[in-house]
Amino acid sequence: MTLQRDPERTETKYLLKFADFTGRRVLEIGCGDGRLTWQYAKSTRFVAGIDLEAGELRVATIDRPSDSPVAFARADSIHLPFSKETFDLAILAWSF
Amino acid sequence: MVHALSEVRRVLAPDGILIDLRPLTGSWPVEVASRREAKEAGRVNDMPIGLEDDQAANQSMAQAAEQKWFLREREEFFPFFYYWDSPSEMQQYIEEEWEDWATVNDDVWKNIRAMWAVADADARLRVGIRMMITRWKKQN
Repeated sequence: MTLQRDPERTETKYLLKFADFTGRRVLEIGCGDGRLTWQYAKSTRFVAGIDLEAGELRVATIDRPSDSPVAFARADSIHLPFSKETFDLAILAWSF
Repeated sequence: MVHALSEVRRVLAPDGILIDLRPLTGSWPVEVASRREAKEAGRVNDMPIGLEDDQAANQSMAQAAEQKWFLREREEFFPFFYYWDSPSEMQQYIEEEWEDWATVNDDVWKNIRAMWAVADADARLRVGIRMMITRWKKQN
């Protein structure tokens, strides 16, 4: 199947317009397979991507470049496994 | 969902930013699109669960704003397109992946196939999802 999602990259353009990722500590809730994560991760200090779907997280982990400041974990947004004030920026990515 | 927002607030630093990025239901248009033109072939039908999810998310964000957890700074809407190379691929995807969110009526499928039969050689099928992006600032 030859599905293409947002080849115009409109979503990324809006995300970068709404948030400055440079040097930020980022939490992405609902990261899925990392489709969106890779669009902004490079300029961040680090990214924690969480999702409930283990299969999607496996894909995200496989795709992760070795020098990437990104970690993925299976976690629920109502019990975030992080200390308080850990992040500068949080993204609810298609996850409501 | 309000619990999730409370958790997000907890893990955000002072003056931290929350970006709420999500699709909205709303009878997304189905189009036959080529470089030359895009023609609407019909609309998808919203399913009740999608409408309920939108409402619940909006209520949660409104509640978080009322409690002064977050202040809305900016909001915009934009299209997010899904593209397929044929009606059969599109139909398979929608029926398998979007079964809880959207359906397409038989008469719309007929129209899609009729328009596809006479479309430009470079035409593809697309659905334009309406997206919302909102920037919220943590209130300290």
